[in-house]
Amino acid sequence: MQRFSVTERPDLERAAAEHGFEFLVGEGIAGWDESAYYQFTSRQIEEDLKQPAEEIERLCFEVVARAVNDEVVLRRLGIPELFWDYVAESWRNKDRNLYGRMDISYSGEGPAKLLEYNADTPTALYETAVFQWEWLEQAMDKGLIPERCDQFNDLHESIVQTFPLLGIEGLSHFACNQDIEDDKGTLEYLEECAQEAGLETRFLAIEDIGIDDRGQFTDLDERVISTLIKLYPWEWLMDEAFGASLPTSGVRFIEPPWKAILSNKGLLPLLWSMFEGHPNLLPAFFEDDPDAATLAGTYVRKPLLSRQGANIEIFRDGETQIRSDGLYGGESCIVQGFHPLPEFGEYYPLVGCWLVASKAVGLCIREDRTLITSKDARFIPHAVLD
Amino acid sequence: MKRWKSIPIVMLTSVSLIALTGCEEAKVDALVFESLEQCLDDTTMSRGDCEANYKEARDQHAAVAPKYNSEADCLADFGAGQCEKAPYQTQSGGSIFMPLMMGYMMGSMLGGRRSMVSQPLYRTSKNPGVFRTADSRNVGKAMGRTQVAKSATSRPSFKSSTISRGGFGASGRRFGSSAA
Repeated sequence: MQRFSVTERPDLERAAAEHGFEFLVGEGIAGWDESAYYQFTSRQIEEDLKQPAEEIERLCFEVVARAVNDEVVLRRLGIPELFWDYVAESWRNKDRNLYGRMDISYSGEGPAKLLEYNADTPTALYETAVFQWEWLEQAMDKGLIPERCDQFNDLHESIVQTFPLLGIEGLSHFACNQDIEDDKGTLEYLEECAQEAGLETRFLAIEDIGIDDRGQFTDLDERVISTLIKLYPWEWLMDEAFGASLPTSGVRFIEPPWKAILSNKGLLPLLWSMFEGHPNLLPAFFEDDPDAATLAGTYVRKPLLSRQGANIEIFRDGETQIRSDGLYGGESCIVQGFHPLPEFGEYYPLVGCWLVASKAVGLCIREDRTLITSKDARFIPHAVLD
Repeated sequence: MKRWKSIPIVMLTSVSLIALTGCEEAKVDALVFESLEQCLDDTTMSRGDCEANYKEARDQHAAVAPKYNSEADCLADFGAGQCEKAPYQTQSGGSIFMPLMMGYMMGSMLGGRRSMVSQPLYRTSKNPGVFRTADSRNVGKAMGRTQVAKSATSRPSFKSSTISRGGFGASGRRFGSSAA
């Protein structure tokens, strides 16, 4: 794994316009930086990232299988009691999952370490699947990078191939907060993939979802929603006014309700308690667990449900080293052994490994100037070359 | 070296969108009747086929027809005398209204098997000449053997009468992006 500086594509502004990204002269595309790329060997991809990610996915399923039968665990994760059966049923029914992104600390050497699993509402999907791939092809064409580069990126084809296997009948609704451009862009891309797979789709703002007197959810044309592909976290849905109707709504959700267990940072201590010492896991504990003391003052503290690197605090020898702000953290926290992101020059890359239908199919790298990868991080493309 | 991706992505850029909208939508064979009697009068149709498909459409009618809390709103969309009470009420005991079923559409026979499920059809006051599916897709004016847009033959979605909206979205307004 190496970081190379590289010339930006001379027609980056045109590429941005074509893909609907905002472009500012002198600054480029917000959140995207192609003045550098990371290069991996195919062995690093296969053995250090792909295989471990699929192995962790298998371990995650063991955690879910145990959690759905354990009220203590469901309570610790902060899942409201009203939804325990709902989450458990979705697991027992084997409700299919579509996608997720594991965030990993990896330096090119030694085992990759799972930092967290964005199993419910992962974003940077379009940048990974489409824009990064186009960069690779064009950068090779223009001679900016070596000719025979590859990329770990089978994301688009995997999503298109998975949609027909989800057993969706009739119309599928796609819903998110329509005021957030990034979320809407991600969901529109997913909708295009579903259409490419032959599904009939309809976009709906999450706030436009209606309810009828039988607790079914409706769209603006009074259609009863039967399948909802949502880019909106499970914990928010459960917490909101229509939440109590979720279990009896008859809606098939993607991602399924059992993903509420995996998208919660409580997953990390649950994984550690079941698979302590696994080379791709870091020690992690619920904050009130006496064993948390074994981290000896050097750890990362994360709220169960924070997003985009908000409300994270890194402690070294009992002292706060760095802390990120945010609106989260009302709920309880977990602590995780401190395993700093690798340093490449003045940057700290965070590797995201994408899974579709539980197979590792692609990679994205987001780079920040601090050890906490925040919403200010920039997407850096990658290449694979032996 | 193994290539993870062998097929280049063809994205929906502006060019391909134009190409897509430039194409006429594919048509499929269908049978449209405004009543069971009309089907029975068609000498090419068997009584069993007419009745089974009529029943299939009729059985879906109450579930898939557009729904209204107000009779006036229903009449405005479908015309005087063209609405009926749905066979259920709101929780507070109020009536729900829906248009009358004005016909039905079935798929043509392909090797002894219907090419699509039978479904009810409606006529709006704005354009009473054409049949529409419960999802408001135009089926055209023709009766008997005809051709309809493929998208009109998909299974109609269930309709309901919304009593409230806006029960989701509050956390998004507070926290912003769902991105993780």
